[in-house]
Amino acid sequence: MNNFRDIEQLSSYLDGQLSPSESARVESRLSSDPKLASAYNDIRAARGILRKLPARKAPRNFTLTRQMVGLKPPLPRTYSVFRFSSALAAFLLMLTFAANTVMPRVSFGASAPAPLAQGNYGSGGGCDGGCSGDVPESVVTEVVVAEAPSIEFAAAPTNALPSTSADSARNAGTPTVAAVMPKDSGNESALQDQPAVKSEAVVPVVWQIGLLMIALVSALFAFVMSRSAKKKWS
Amino acid sequence: MDETALIQTAQHGDLDSFNTLILHYQDMVFHTALRILGDEDLAADASQEAFISAFRSINSFRGGSFKAWLMRTVTNACYDEFRRQKRRPTTPLEPESADGEEMDSPRWLADPNMTPAEKFEADELEHAIQHCLDALPTDFRTVVVLADIQGMDYSEVAISVRVPLGTIKSRLARARLRLRECLRGFEELLPSSFRLEEESNL
Repeated sequence: MNNFRDIEQLSSYLDGQLSPSESARVESRLSSDPKLASAYNDIRAARGILRKLPARKAPRNFTLTRQMVGLKPPLPRTYSVFRFSSALAAFLLMLTFAANTVMPRVSFGASAPAPLAQGNYGSGGGCDGGCSGDVPESVVTEVVVAEAPSIEFAAAPTNALPSTSADSARNAGTPTVAAVMPKDSGNESALQDQPAVKSEAVVPVVWQIGLLMIALVSALFAFVMSRSAKKKWS
Repeated sequence: MDETALIQTAQHGDLDSFNTLILHYQDMVFHTALRILGDEDLAADASQEAFISAFRSINSFRGGSFKAWLMRTVTNACYDEFRRQKRRPTTPLEPESADGEEMDSPRWLADPNMTPAEKFEADELEHAIQHCLDALPTDFRTVVVLADIQGMDYSEVAISVRVPLGTIKSRLARARLRLRECLRGFEELLPSSFRLEEESNL
């Protein structure tokens, strides 16, 4: 029985892959070893059978189409310009919508007295004693008093029920709910009297329409160019 | 056909040049895939995939044997097909008749230019050889198909299957040894000049 090393050498010898010295050594062994010669003939016969196999023709042509390999038609340079301008216009349009939604420009009516508005929308109770200048004193006091009930409401249930003189004396320093209410309602009426807040769009609608038109027209041009290029390609 | 010029233009994206190369190599590619896979439909699919893959990666070809480079894509496509086969139910190599038995001489192996007797013998022999090839491990089968059926030299086979030359020699010797053993079972089908026992007794 020949070992695998011998078989490998015989296989290489059969294909002419051995050096001249190795080939000479194999040939001398083949002439003296009938088993090796038998194995060699078997390998040669097996190779001969394989080589005799009829070559099979392709059942169809395997030529490729542009679609099969995903080739895209060559597009004119202006195509990318239109595509870019369309994308940019669409992006800017979205920005204008966002700007108009998030950052509305707030303005007040011209008839609103500035000091009053400042007093009511300002720091609330932060003006006790510190506010000065043109703000009338009565207004400042009203604002301070108006803020006080928010603290008083928490203690109101216990303080409001009994109405002894001692309690009245103890509570004299702070106004009761009943005492505050009229002032509070007066404050609401003051708020109602203020001028209406009017908001305006940051970006005018005309600009938005313009951007929309640019986006649509550019996209349309890019689409037409792409279609015509594909038509020519096919 | 100026193969180098066609390859260069194909590398610049010219599909027509590549299609000219396909027409030149498609029979060889299909035959290789058929012998490795053992099924005509699978071989056709693998050949098509191989050509698509070859076109997409043609820029990776840096010269040398284009045939060996192309055969590498074919063997890869065949291995992919084997992997797909493992994931889904396989179809038998031989078509089955209405009663579920395998047809001995399937129509798809027939050659219209032969007489019925020759066709029968050729079909039987081809069937026997394919049977023995299918019995080989895939790596051995690929090497023996490229070297013995396609007649490629060892270095081209080494490029095609990306293994060292020594491995090619070893795989080829083992494959031939196994084929010899397998073909002994089909002695009566072999032409007299290839009778193994007769050759062995020389």
